[in-house]
Amino acid sequence: MFFKKAMKTKLLYLLLWVVLLAFTEQLQAQKITLSGYVKDSATGETLIGAVVKNPEGNLGTVTNTYGFFSISFPENTPYFICSYLGYKAQKITLNGKSKTYQISLIRQNLEEKEVVINAERLDKNVRSTEMSRIELSGDKIKSLPVVFGEPDVLKAITLLPGIKSGGEASTGFYVRGGGPDQNLILMDEAVVYNPSHLFGFLSVFNSDAVKNIDIIKGGMPANYGGRLSSILNVNMRDGNNQEFKSNGGVGLISTRLSAEGPISKGKSSFLVAARRTYIDVLVKPFLPADIKGNSYYFYDMNLKLNFILGEKDRLFISGYFGRDILDYKSQLNRAVQFNFGWGNSTATARWNHVFNSKLFSNTSIIFNRYELFNDFQFGAGGFMVRSSLRDWNFKSDFTWFPKDNHEVKFGINYTYHTFQPGILTGNIGSIQIGETINKQYAHEYAAYLLDDFKLNHRWAFNYGVRLVAFQLVGPYTKEDFDLDTQLPNGNKTNYSPGQTIAYYPRFEPRASANYLLNEESSIKGSYTQTYQFLHLATSSGAQFPVDLWVPSSSLVKPQMARQFALGYFRNFQKNAYESSAEIYYKPMKNQIEFKPGASLFFNQNLESEMVFGEGLSYGLELFLRKKTGKLNGWIGYTWSRTTRQFDALNNGKPYFYRYDRTHDISLLLSYQFNKKWAGNFVFVFGTGNATTLPDSRYAYRFGVDPTTGEPKFVIVDKYGAVNSFRMPAYHRADISFTYMVKQTKKFESSWNFSIYNIYNRANPYFIYFLPDTETQTVKAFMVYLFPILPSVQWNFKF
Amino acid sequence: MKTTNLFFFFMCVGLVFYSCEKEIQIDVPPAKEELVVEASINQLTPTLNYVLISKTLDYFNPSLSVNAVSGAAVYITEGNIVGNDTLFDSGNRTQFFDVLDTLIPGLYINPFFTGNIEKPYLLEIELTDGRKITGKTFIPKPSTFDSIHYWFEKNNQDTNAFFYLQWMDGPEQNNYRMVLKKGFLPFLTGWGYGDRFYTFDDSQINNKPRPFLMLNPFKYGDTVNIYLSQIGRSEYLFWDSFRSAANNGGPFATPVNVKSNVEGAIGSFTGYALTQTQLILRE
Repeated sequence: MFFKKAMKTKLLYLLLWVVLLAFTEQLQAQKITLSGYVKDSATGETLIGAVVKNPEGNLGTVTNTYGFFSISFPENTPYFICSYLGYKAQKITLNGKSKTYQISLIRQNLEEKEVVINAERLDKNVRSTEMSRIELSGDKIKSLPVVFGEPDVLKAITLLPGIKSGGEASTGFYVRGGGPDQNLILMDEAVVYNPSHLFGFLSVFNSDAVKNIDIIKGGMPANYGGRLSSILNVNMRDGNNQEFKSNGGVGLISTRLSAEGPISKGKSSFLVAARRTYIDVLVKPFLPADIKGNSYYFYDMNLKLNFILGEKDRLFISGYFGRDILDYKSQLNRAVQFNFGWGNSTATARWNHVFNSKLFSNTSIIFNRYELFNDFQFGAGGFMVRSSLRDWNFKSDFTWFPKDNHEVKFGINYTYHTFQPGILTGNIGSIQIGETINKQYAHEYAAYLLDDFKLNHRWAFNYGVRLVAFQLVGPYTKEDFDLDTQLPNGNKTNYSPGQTIAYYPRFEPRASANYLLNEESSIKGSYTQTYQFLHLATSSGAQFPVDLWVPSSSLVKPQMARQFALGYFRNFQKNAYESSAEIYYKPMKNQIEFKPGASLFFNQNLESEMVFGEGLSYGLELFLRKKTGKLNGWIGYTWSRTTRQFDALNNGKPYFYRYDRTHDISLLLSYQFNKKWAGNFVFVFGTGNATTLPDSRYAYRFGVDPTTGEPKFVIVDKYGAVNSFRMPAYHRADISFTYMVKQTKKFESSWNFSIYNIYNRANPYFIYFLPDTETQTVKAFMVYLFPILPSVQWNFKF
Repeated sequence: MKTTNLFFFFMCVGLVFYSCEKEIQIDVPPAKEELVVEASINQLTPTLNYVLISKTLDYFNPSLSVNAVSGAAVYITEGNIVGNDTLFDSGNRTQFFDVLDTLIPGLYINPFFTGNIEKPYLLEIELTDGRKITGKTFIPKPSTFDSIHYWFEKNNQDTNAFFYLQWMDGPEQNNYRMVLKKGFLPFLTGWGYGDRFYTFDDSQINNKPRPFLMLNPFKYGDTVNIYLSQIGRSEYLFWDSFRSAANNGGPFATPVNVKSNVEGAIGSFTGYALTQTQLILRE
């Protein structure tokens, strides 16, 4: 133990030493450091990933999540260039006095696009140390073909290689062999524990409020952590600080509406976005009287306030509130009513401060809550069930640009978790019921330091450490349970407030390197070690509102993954095309599954239903992307293998993970026909999911009808090896067209027509079996969800 | 306008609830055959004392009947608990016979057998091929209904009845199976002859009056028999897993195999402490 600690301390010192050594390594010429923000001239919206470079193009940087940049140029540099995809590049003359710049870029019109884009340098794919990271803009997401006319962030990212969809009725996604709970989903830095609406058909992200998304599926830098597989950052728009604008969309099942505008022109802005499904309202008049009371709907709201307090300070306040509500009234007994709801609430306050041209900071206070409520009334009584997970989070991140070849990031992060697995209250007749599953409290700490370091023209490194710790604390009463009977054995341990129940300090080294082979190609490698302290208790393949998040405890050890990735990156035709080939190898420890048939609802002893094992995933991902021009898009291919091994499952033998997908292909083509018409084509193919099927059956629960002498039985399935069967392959093609009816400065109106599954492929949702008494056989049936499905959506902006 | 609304209605309902299915052919390799036993004893009703022995079938075998095993030697022995030991005396051994084999193959009964409450029992089976199945169970103390209420919605006797049963759950840990059956016969010919089945324990309500409320399929005028049993813990774990295994289906189901409490076979040997009552549902 001591040895481990000493080793970690040494490693930390070594890292600091390397950083310092690197700073003093090169004698630098006289340089000037510039910093500032890049924004859209029309809206004031900051631009993420805008390129700032010198005229020769050999020195450059990109803006961060807040649109901020800092870069050092030789003092005699006459000007620098700022560019961003879809905007006119701007030449900014160095006046020798100012070191901070507020750069406003002007959006291009269609005719200009080709010319300017070709002049722009888009070699981030080759030069950056980042690998396994992809960004998508909100506009791109909105243009993709959709189901029910509702654009969806999470559906869009599953078109990327290495990211697999859980299926048509699932917004859960699976990254390089990890489960859906191994993805950290952040909305303006707030954790979203359940990203789905409509039981998984749609996600909670309103595309009107999304500026861009950014997913990291490997090579995770040290400033990110908390989950094993991926980080999905959903950045909300800041709001137009120049003029008041509204926009929205009318789809088949919901309507979106948003408003934005300046609070004080050029200095502060607001954005409010909301949407609601209206299928319950539309259908209600036509429902028979006995089921008129049944309805389902969801709504969500986003709010963002953005204040430029001065040259050095910015304040962002953002919030989200969403609910899914299912109301049921029995048609047999009207006194029976059921009300089921769930939803997320988040609030984030962020303060950006520029200390000087070389030091930028962001400090955030974040609150998020996921809750579930369930009310059941039956005339003579009723009960309510509540469960929730609440976090308070404080984080402070700094970016320091000490030299032109170093970008150092460091920061701290603290989260206080409160888990309320369940409270049940109510009455049946005169009997009062009140049951509470003990609350749990935990502290989660993280501190990180990383350096993005360009050694020379060819070599670049990103290396760092992240120190994390998780502390489960009282007040808590821990009951011991008998393993065989699953009943309390009478032993209890009481923990006082703040007393440690379990403590896991962990060390996460991260490193990636880039070697530039030539101006158009590079080789990158990365190593990541990550821990995860929160686990999703679910026994099904899909994420459900009733699923619970449970903390690491003395029995439930933190999940751990290592990931090794190696890739070849190459751009073609002046960076118009970018391509990559990546291989990865990812062993995972302390993976959690639930015993088959585990009882998760209101279970005081949930841990007894868990089993622990290991996972392994490896694969090859190929990606070719054309980002610019009238025809753009990408094609991705993944070959992968993902297995799990649990001593308590499948007789201890390794088995395929449910979402193991040997082959996975995604093709997206977008074409701008003219000013009015644009089109998208999507094709996806994936090897069928691994599933467990019965290998034999038997008759049980004997009875005999005394009047006829006929025996009665239930046919029970007996299951064989875990996930030894493959569902049929999943594939489909979608197409969408956007018709711009009118586009002026004052008003914009467009229609989006899409056809989902154009060749009407029956893709498997699940398989079930039914005994057929006539033929005396058991038959297998495959249920599929969406046949060919046209939809239309009207979008407007004024 | 009406046409527009109708269009929207059909489109919305159709799209949201549209799902299709088709029959598919699946090639499942043959599995190893296993024995299956269902053994039930109680202190009240002779028709619920039986042992049924069968074998598993390949999944797509063209037969939905029981793959029965006849000709086995089946014995149930009543034992005694002495201190911490459970003793079984071969003098208390009762043989069960497949006397109805031509009618119900694989069924072993003994009409003279009666279980006793708070007694342990040993099941021993030997097949003609020498394979053996053994199991143990215990008949606990039965519960007694404190009250039974039922009612219909006001002015609406066509709707189904609410049932509200209550009994005292003692301080000890209790596990229950309850079966409801419509009809005038005051006994069950096998547990599977019931209409509604419930398996539950007292983890939520312990050592207090236990209410049990059901919205059930019985209507005004029906005669309903209620069978409430206390069972042991391992028996409860079997029937609880059976409930999952027998109702497994749908997109989010997980494959469940039952938690047997017998050795040498899949299945359960369950001792039921039975309480029963009959109601005629009238105001």
